[in-house]
Amino acid sequence: MLALRLARGARPAVHLRRLLVTAASGGTAFLLLCVLGHAITHPETPARSVLRLAWCAGPLAATAYCAVTVARTDPATRPRPGLSAIGLGPRRLMALSAMTTALSGVIGSLFALFLFLHLRGEPERPPFTGDAARALAPGLPLPLPAALTLLSVVPAVLAVTVALALRPAGPGPWWATLAEGRGLLAPRGTGADASRQAGADGARQAGGSGTRTAEGPGGVRRTQPGRLGGRRLIRAGVRRGGNGSHALSTVLDTCEPALTATGAPAWEPDPYTCAAPQPAPGGLPWGVAVLAVGLAIEAYASSSGSAPALLLPGGFAHSSAGALAGWLLTTLGLVLAGPGLTHLCGRLLQAVRPGALRLLAGRVLQEEARRIGRPLGVLCAVACGVFTMATLYSGARHSIGPFTTLGGLVMVGCTVMTLAIVATEARDARAGTTAALVRLGAPATMLRTAALLRVGALLALFGPLTWVIAALTAAPLRP
Amino acid sequence: MVAQPDSDVLWARALTHAHNGSPALRGVSIGVREGEILAVSGPRGSGKTTLLRCLSGQFRPQEGEVWFNSTPVHTMGPLTRERLRRDRFGWIDPEPVLVPELTAWENAALPLMLRGTGRRAAKKTALEWLERLDIGGCARKRPYALLHSERQRVVVARALVGAPTVLFADEPTAPLHRAERAHVLRTLTTAARSHGITVVLATHDADTAELADRTVTLLDGRRVNTVHLPHPPEAEGRAACSLSV
Repeated sequence: MLALRLARGARPAVHLRRLLVTAASGGTAFLLLCVLGHAITHPETPARSVLRLAWCAGPLAATAYCAVTVARTDPATRPRPGLSAIGLGPRRLMALSAMTTALSGVIGSLFALFLFLHLRGEPERPPFTGDAARALAPGLPLPLPAALTLLSVVPAVLAVTVALALRPAGPGPWWATLAEGRGLLAPRGTGADASRQAGADGARQAGGSGTRTAEGPGGVRRTQPGRLGGRRLIRAGVRRGGNGSHALSTVLDTCEPALTATGAPAWEPDPYTCAAPQPAPGGLPWGVAVLAVGLAIEAYASSSGSAPALLLPGGFAHSSAGALAGWLLTTLGLVLAGPGLTHLCGRLLQAVRPGALRLLAGRVLQEEARRIGRPLGVLCAVACGVFTMATLYSGARHSIGPFTTLGGLVMVGCTVMTLAIVATEARDARAGTTAALVRLGAPATMLRTAALLRVGALLALFGPLTWVIAALTAAPLRP
Repeated sequence: MVAQPDSDVLWARALTHAHNGSPALRGVSIGVREGEILAVSGPRGSGKTTLLRCLSGQFRPQEGEVWFNSTPVHTMGPLTRERLRRDRFGWIDPEPVLVPELTAWENAALPLMLRGTGRRAAKKTALEWLERLDIGGCARKRPYALLHSERQRVVVARALVGAPTVLFADEPTAPLHRAERAHVLRTLTTAARSHGITVVLATHDADTAELADRTVTLLDGRRVNTVHLPHPPEAEGRAACSLSV
């Protein structure tokens, strides 16, 4: 109920994000149902249906990626000292995030089911005709358990991914957290015991300043896993409070680090505490190496002329497993190299005797390289895939089917939206510094120009690069 | 409309401002003479920051007038006020808000670079000011590597580097310890006096106000001459409790 109440009070932008997650999960669920339809109409070739099912992993992964970003940047489920005080600690907030995401997924899946049934002509009306409609298995009975199982896949995957991504910071990997009984799946008693034990530790460390686990007279339970590895604390970054709650948030930072979710961004930017800058992302050599290996494998596999072993969606007849693996490695390399390339871009931007404009644009890009670079790399990888598809189907070959188009749309939409959300997040994180610059009298046009310069520099670097890599990866696959 | 007195570089009349309905200033009039250090004192919530923001053109007062060198600030558009802040005013925040991506000297040189001064000249001036404030050794460090007091001194250098006509300092020493507080204040006032910079200093600290030429006291958004706060009463019910136990 709390999830619903928080969802109801959110801003329109947040609702729009959730709506987009719903749309993406709906699209993915519809693809899964189409695979079911294919399996019903072609019972003699289960392998091809399984292959189609495997190809749904792409849109599913893109949807999960997007859902995690939306949940991470959701202001309703951000750790808040006030909520923590009434017992809504990081674990419950994680559960809340997972629940909200699952809700979006369920709604999307139900829409997909209705659309699927509608297109099949289920409630007593003639089904749609055409090649595409045949894949929906009109006229054949739909096995309900299979449909429900497939429909539950999307919400379940989204909820689990969000829960894992937003798990409370604790020492060790997530499975250790779960095993110790401090995770979502832990029985209530175990969790309380663990936190009581931890709370005693925390009380000893913090001089007993309200960090004990206590059953209050009103039944308000405050749990506090006081133990924490310093490594994770550093990784999680210092949770920052706003202007007024500065002292409180400082206290919370020092004695209640479990308020921080590992993936949670530094919301409520605090210009007063200067966190150490993150080191330059080091994925560029790895990315380039993986990219080169991928290109080499693809070229080798296509030149050796092995028989086509895999059928890609829409009849991608000339592809062999080797070429496909090479293609996947190439895109993975692009994803890995994203942050490094973004950092490089910022470095070049402020390279030779920069003025205020280039200095602000370049240094900020360098600082945000990790945040922006990864989704940008993913977007480039998806763009690479779209380019490959477009070149392969541009000739005399038959056109791309509607389901491939739908899958591609889901992937492109999810990655573009993730990048947009992350860019907004970066802007929000810098709001304090921007306000200080405005107080200094920095022209608003200059700040806008700096942002445009960043976008332009990224486009100038990533655009041609993606195009070249896409052309290189598409060339061996061409018939 | 009353004319601005000639000796006043900054002059405000009957300023009234509310934050989202909550009144912050209720008819404050103030005149700042050229080259003086004026302390605006008063307890927290008395409207000091709002007054400074209205005077420096960050807020447009809902009622009242602000004149700077016989130019009306309250009728200026946002772009003109922005240019005024950039070219003629300096601002010091209560907390050292530096651009975390830039080094100390780049932060200090930022106002000059924003005005279009060349990089080399801006760097030279910024380094000079950092030297004057005893933090020349930190010029190449990023803000995260500096101490709080060093950061605040970088902010002071950033405010002074452009040789502003009026420098607004909103509780510049609030987060510092007393020794650092005295040092920062002394450097600030010395620099202002030696360069003829007018300073409007908001503070709730009587020691800080003593450094100023003149003090204006605000209370609940109004200008008052003397603050007579009632003595804190005895804790209610203490006597009764002691009797009953």
